Amino acid sequence: MKDNLDDWFVREILVHEDALTRFLFRTWRHRDDIQELRQEIYVRVYQAAQTSRPTAPKSFLFTTARNLMTDRVRRARIVSIEAVGDIESLNVLMENDTPERRLSSRQELRRLAEAFDRLPDRCREIFWLCRVEERPQKEVAAQLGISRKAVEKQVAKGIRRIAEYYFGNSLDTAGGGLHKQHEDEHGQQTD
Amino acid sequence: MDSRRIERTAADWLARRASEDWCEADEARLEAWLAESAAHRVAWLRLKAAWLKSDRLKALGAGIPQGQIPERGRWTSSTVASAPTAGDSAASGDEAAWRSNRHGKRQPWVRIAGMAAGLLLTISAVWVLWQVRAVESSRHYTELGTVRDISLTDGSQATLGSASGIEVSFSRHQRRIDLEQGEAYFDVVHDPDRVFEVRAGTRRIVAVGTRFSVRRNGGDLRVVVTEGSVRLESVSGTGSARLLTAGTVARVDGGHMRVQEYPVEQAEELLNWRDGFLVFRNTPLSEAVAEFNRYSSRKLVIIDPAIADIPIGGNFRWNNADAFVRLLEQGFDVRARHHGHEVLLTSRVTRP
Repeated sequence: MKDNLDDWFVREILVHEDALTRFLFRTWRHRDDIQELRQEIYVRVYQAAQTSRPTAPKSFLFTTARNLMTDRVRRARIVSIEAVGDIESLNVLMENDTPERRLSSRQELRRLAEAFDRLPDRCREIFWLCRVEERPQKEVAAQLGISRKAVEKQVAKGIRRIAEYYFGNSLDTAGGGLHKQHEDEHGQQTD
Repeated sequence: MDSRRIERTAADWLARRASEDWCEADEARLEAWLAESAAHRVAWLRLKAAWLKSDRLKALGAGIPQGQIPERGRWTSSTVASAPTAGDSAASGDEAAWRSNRHGKRQPWVRIAGMAAGLLLTISAVWVLWQVRAVESSRHYTELGTVRDISLTDGSQATLGSASGIEVSFSRHQRRIDLEQGEAYFDVVHDPDRVFEVRAGTRRIVAVGTRFSVRRNGGDLRVVVTEGSVRLESVSGTGSARLLTAGTVARVDGGHMRVQEYPVEQAEELLNWRDGFLVFRNTPLSEAVAEFNRYSSRKLVIIDPAIADIPIGGNFRWNNADAFVRLLEQGFDVRARHHGHEVLLTSRVTRP
């Protein structure tokens, strides 16, 4: 049951990340919040789907997004009904018959290649060696003269960046480097 | 909940899991972490899906010698910048839908019906006046939901708001208007020999040549001055007079007077009802609702005090309270229930 739910989530919800991210950018002024908003939207959708799976996943996702944003707006007391008007119209069009934007296999590969090419040099190199050539991390560490931990960190960073571009590439195009900014802030920190 | 931190942790798990010495104990620890919260699981699912997808990069590695990192742009160089992506075309589709949706909302018949009602009222009012009043004085009323311009015999203009009434008495020595109820805006022609005064209950507003509006609700009063200046004083002449200049909004509320100075443009926003609009800036919902109620027999009623202070901003047609209510429902924790001639506004407790 749980695995089914997880598959459902990836298949029916995550595929819309790109549209969702674009929606958030258009509706929410504070760009720094968007990653966190999106995460909370996912959590709400996932939790709701545990009880019963929505029949129209895409519009459920956007309704959840809208509700979350209006919650925030009210809490922040920076209410402007013009902004809310925007949300309303976006909600209406989400229920319009917009064709699904599932990528073809070729487009998918291309997007992956783009995502991969956007990685910083070191990260890109290590990701290639570990993920594509499937070389043991230990070996890669030895070859590059860095620690195992450092290799692991680069792989982790690589997958975060690739996910960001692959699912929601508007963060990169519309966001003006939102992701990068945070990378710079926290990139060096260790857990 | 710090979503970035969670995402980082999920990515760390994924990288560790990809390593050659991932063991069952690690797997158990990962399971425990995932079970901790839906936020963990969701972040993990997302990254894992990307990880699985990235397996396809192997297809790109065909023909590249082991240990060699392919140069950037090897697979994407020619069309990266020029090809419009699926996302772009969908975005413009969204825009178009958004625009057509906006235009679709106007309801011309509402305005036509309003105009017809106004015209009918004007005709009947004129007829009544003709019958009852002498030339030097007249009386004007408006029905709920109508606004009317009136040309006065001295060349001044009055605009009557919804459900308002004035009595005009002009003589050789004075120009006097009695605001019986509601709101009226005056654009006064300068006449040094005859002051122009508006009486509202026990107070009067005296002008020479200026533009201002007076609203009366029983003994309460609101005066908005948008040009020149007026003098606000009590009819009996007792108490002090107050000079109000352009941009001033004076409110008399239960005998107390409150005077606020605004930029003239902002004071004018209070008078946009003349053009069919209500303009709110950080206005408490209770006040916004009261404004709409001036124009319609179907009253909006705030049942739940909790929502009375929600600050509202925006530009609305006063003849379209329905749109306002719809936006409230969409944007706030407000639910509207139609009940006879009232729309009851309550706080919505449950939500999806």
